[in-house]
Amino acid sequence: MLRKLFPLIFLLIPFLSVAQSNPEDSAWIRENYIKKEVYIPMRDGVKLFTSIYLPKDTTEKHPILMTRTPYSCAPYGEQNFSPRLWLSHYRYYARENYIFVTQDVRGRWMSEGQFVDVRPFIADKKSNTDIDEASDTYDAIDWLVKNLPYNNGNVGVMGISYPGFYSTMAALSGHPALKAVSPQAPVTDWFQGDDFHHNGAFFIMDGFSFYAGGFGYPRPQPTTIGPRSALKIPTNDNYQTYLQIGALKNFMKLTGDSLAFWKDLYAHPDRDAWWEARNPRNFVGDIKPAMLEVGGLFDAEDCFGAWNLYKAIEKKNPSSHFNKLVMGPWYHGQWASTDGTHLGNVQFGSNTSFWYQNNIEIPFFDYYLKGKGDISKLSEATVFMSGANEWRQYEQWPPPNSQPTSIYLDDNGGLSWNAPVTKNDFSEYISDPAHPVPYTEDIHFSRTREYMDDDQRFASRRPDVLTFETGVLDNDLVLAGVVTADLKVSLSTTDADFVVKIIDVFPDDFRYPGARPQPNRGVGGSYPMGGYQMLVRGEIMRGRYRNSFSNPEPFKPNKIETVKFNLPDISHTFKKGHRLMIQIQSSWFPLVDRNPQQFVNIYQCDDKDFIKSTIHVYHDATNPSNIILPVLKN
Amino acid sequence: MKNLFCYVLIVPILLFQSVLTFSQPGAGQQFVKDNYTKREVMIPMRDGVKLFTAIYEPKDDSQAYPILMERTPYSCSPYGEDKFPGRLGPNSELMKEKYIFVYQDVRGRYKSEGNFQEMTPAIDHKRSNKDVDESSDTFDAIEWLLKNTHNNGNVGLYGISYPGFYASASLPNAHPAIKAVSPQAPVTDEFIGDDCNHNGAYYLLDNFDFYSYFDGEKNEAGDSYKSLFNAKRTDAYQFFLQLGTLKNANGPQYFDGKGIWGQTLQHDTYDSFWQARNIRPHLKNIKPAVLVVGGWFDAEDMFGAMRTYEAIEKQSPKNNNRIILGPWTHGAWAGRSWTKFGSYDFGSNLNEYFQNIETRFFNYYLKGKDDFNLPEATVFETGTNQWKEYPAWPPTNVTNTPFYLEDQGKLGNEKPKQPTSFNEYVSDPKKPVPYTNGVYARRNNEYLVEDQRFAEKYPEVVTFKSDVLTSDVNVTGRLKANLFVSTTGTDADFIVKLIDVLPDDEPNPDPNPRNFQMGGFERMVRAEVFRGKFRNSYEKPQPFTPGKIEEVSFDMNEIAHVFKKGHRIMVQVQSTWFPIIDRNPQKFMKIPEADESDFQKATIRIYHDALHPSNIVLPIMK
Repeated sequence: MLRKLFPLIFLLIPFLSVAQSNPEDSAWIRENYIKKEVYIPMRDGVKLFTSIYLPKDTTEKHPILMTRTPYSCAPYGEQNFSPRLWLSHYRYYARENYIFVTQDVRGRWMSEGQFVDVRPFIADKKSNTDIDEASDTYDAIDWLVKNLPYNNGNVGVMGISYPGFYSTMAALSGHPALKAVSPQAPVTDWFQGDDFHHNGAFFIMDGFSFYAGGFGYPRPQPTTIGPRSALKIPTNDNYQTYLQIGALKNFMKLTGDSLAFWKDLYAHPDRDAWWEARNPRNFVGDIKPAMLEVGGLFDAEDCFGAWNLYKAIEKKNPSSHFNKLVMGPWYHGQWASTDGTHLGNVQFGSNTSFWYQNNIEIPFFDYYLKGKGDISKLSEATVFMSGANEWRQYEQWPPPNSQPTSIYLDDNGGLSWNAPVTKNDFSEYISDPAHPVPYTEDIHFSRTREYMDDDQRFASRRPDVLTFETGVLDNDLVLAGVVTADLKVSLSTTDADFVVKIIDVFPDDFRYPGARPQPNRGVGGSYPMGGYQMLVRGEIMRGRYRNSFSNPEPFKPNKIETVKFNLPDISHTFKKGHRLMIQIQSSWFPLVDRNPQQFVNIYQCDDKDFIKSTIHVYHDATNPSNIILPVLKN
Repeated sequence: MKNLFCYVLIVPILLFQSVLTFSQPGAGQQFVKDNYTKREVMIPMRDGVKLFTAIYEPKDDSQAYPILMERTPYSCSPYGEDKFPGRLGPNSELMKEKYIFVYQDVRGRYKSEGNFQEMTPAIDHKRSNKDVDESSDTFDAIEWLLKNTHNNGNVGLYGISYPGFYASASLPNAHPAIKAVSPQAPVTDEFIGDDCNHNGAYYLLDNFDFYSYFDGEKNEAGDSYKSLFNAKRTDAYQFFLQLGTLKNANGPQYFDGKGIWGQTLQHDTYDSFWQARNIRPHLKNIKPAVLVVGGWFDAEDMFGAMRTYEAIEKQSPKNNNRIILGPWTHGAWAGRSWTKFGSYDFGSNLNEYFQNIETRFFNYYLKGKDDFNLPEATVFETGTNQWKEYPAWPPTNVTNTPFYLEDQGKLGNEKPKQPTSFNEYVSDPKKPVPYTNGVYARRNNEYLVEDQRFAEKYPEVVTFKSDVLTSDVNVTGRLKANLFVSTTGTDADFIVKLIDVLPDDEPNPDPNPRNFQMGGFERMVRAEVFRGKFRNSYEKPQPFTPGKIEEVSFDMNEIAHVFKKGHRIMVQVQSTWFPIIDRNPQKFMKIPEADESDFQKATIRIYHDALHPSNIVLPIMK
């Protein structure tokens, strides 16, 4: 959802190479399109700023492809064309003469009105003042199909991240012209798994850098100029800076009290009605347009939303409704980039982004908006299998032949498919909030996107990280579906976090084809992949929510309790010759805020409230901690 | 040296340099071939053993030349009278100056006869021709050379690392023809501070790699050694952790308890084996001029350079003894260029400066050429990046100033007043603190200047830092750590690191190909380890009484570093540094005999109260 930065910085980088190889496209777009900027009135009189790129072609009518965004429809000015049209796969849509529409959502940038973060959906609207993002989309679509020349009456909406949320909301608009919607890495549940919280644990670095970095600043008047962060903090080492700032309370002191949503986050530490109103999954019944949910297996921001929006729509709509899932080996938005060959040190064997664009997304919109082609062959779920590096098609997600299978933590750091028979056996560590486990090993300030598949050897070395691993696998171990951690723990204090990481340990002599052996990691040398501990999936659970996300409960010191939680779904093959590793730790910093390890309000507590906790993770016959893995048969 | 680096690093540097100097491959060899004739001879020693010697004499025989000699356990290759190296002598200027360059395989190594001994013990009073040592072998070689070459009667010796030891070893009872000797990073005392151990702590990674190569079997021709075993790995940390105890490393798959490695483990205290191999007591009544060279960032023999200079200074006060210390890694001064290291940029080629001194040293003492007014100590000051000269080393105009570890991670000059105050950490031999950040198969040669932010994040590393400095603090001289500690075990290691914390707004280099994040960079200036059981005696280790507060004080050698205004001074303390140092079982015992089950966690306290004011003593220069 830190989408704002990504289109500008990250996505542009891969685009450049394409710009060079397709120098004609920019000129072609300018020759074949005109741009209009309009204010579209909503039912309550508020007007939303809208950029429209119209094809000059009048030989036929064209569909409308719309994105609604809080990140601005820049560049502003009818002379200024967005480079996205020729630098991204939008250029394929351009060749098909799509009408492109980008709209600043209510209250952002040049639009009028008041912005509300993840504005709650109003199921039962009583008057023209009962507006939400669905009604704004309805009103925009209505105006567009009635006013744009040569439109064919078919509208599609797509968007990545926060615009993914607006795509979901578009699907709820019920406008009959809306035929196809693709929410991509859609912001879906900011308490449960997207962006700012995972299982109730606060993703402080993303949250703080996003809101205090400018997104949360008040915007009194429509403007084309974005806010500049007024924060003055050291920006060398996020670990050190966030540790020095300390308790969440101190972050609030830095931001002041003008960031409305930031204050809301502090006011709603638990999953309450306020959060439920901001969970679109509660409202996705009776969806008319065809839906295509897209996400990245290694999306650091909205991996949850992609999987779970799909599942919610699936559950609440008849099986005849077109609702499909695509998950690739991608960072946040990588599917819209030109390079889907690798993330960080891990390679995927082909350009998965191109494959997706040409085989799924473009055919989807072409079919529903232009009546072109055939998408009957598109499977219910198209999910990349990392490790094996191949696309897999499924008739159902999770796949019915994926069998939930427990793998048990063992003494001596082993993992076993059999439950332990020992008595009173546990592993112990001290979780010290003054020395939290870093989420990545390098010194840097902005959260990396590569941490999602980084080498975990740095973490294995720490005394406050438990590591369990299988022997060398004799056969491929194929995982596809839901992962559940089922931990039996006790702590010396009244609260703790639990991070579970599923790791693929590469063989000692592993190297990618074509890579030269690099025994020494010298200047400019490639990363040593032999023995690489690839993070495949990691997730955190704030212990106090183990029984309920809305009614947190303290732990009783030293009493053994179950902490059971889901990780985002997985799709990975642990190849023969590799090992499966599980790591357990109680901090993941500064990705996630530190738990004071006492049952206090974390948003209000003081630095002195943060205390060490001695944590036991049990692996005996009575308390067999295990991870339930979706093992795909045959 | 010891260490592969002689072989792996120095040799390539020399070859590389000659290539650069002459700008095309083979040009160095061609120069040597065009200007020198080569002879290979077996020189007989007094006990009849013959040592293989390669002699390169200038073709220009219009005058007699001095002899400049290196004695080495690493081979005087290339072998063959028609084979020439890319460079002769310690630097290429000296090669152009014309000397008789002599390389000799030391007794027992490569093509020389006899038995090799690790760090041959010196015999001050020889009773017969059977009493041989490196001094006598050097003496005998020189006798022969003086008679069999067109020389001017003057001999110089030099050498880096192990050859540095052979240079030092020529000094006691030196042949009168020896006029100038330059021991460079000389291996000096392998229990206290060089290579094999520092303060009794075993240098696992270096020893394992060095001895497996160095102590292998010699082939029949005597021109190569077969490694004892081939242990492939990508991650040294993981490899050694899985290898486990020293006992395992000593197993049949690896060293099989034999050879030099086996000896180093048999002698786990500062016993007669190690004492006999400490050259320092023998450096008395030294006559030849001496130029000791050492590197601040020498991971192997920094101790040897400083302590060899010191021993000669104290025991041979009339000797022309000088020292040069620069920001070099092991032997880096012999390369063509040294302008940058790690995140340091020295701003100029320090090797040009040094090699000019080296050339003038030998020219003056062996050829009587020009004059030579080098001050007692020439040291490169890090932090300000400039050469400094001192009339004494360490300089006398410094105030040894304790910096006290304090509560709340502070470091200051005020002696603590609280009745009780300490930091506590659990040291777990199963999860030792890595010596470097990241995955390295071999030793990361930059670890001595590495950013220590990674270490600060470990719960078992305690960190103390000063306020932001309001003026430059020049620390030049000898460092000392004085810790007051207790442990729940009966033994423990203590690693003390002195760190320069750069300001938050320190700019990154431009360009920045290594992606250094200089703002807040915690640049290590010096680090040293001490194995706790030797706190009262290296000969007679003593257990700790669990829970009892004891003092652990140790020397950290000299530095010359300016902590600039706006920086902070930081001290980190930890009890593991892996796999540079073997793991201490934290139980008082002969560590080479420890089983995995002997390795236990220990809760360690570092005290900073009124009665137990742990501190680090910095020599502050006004």
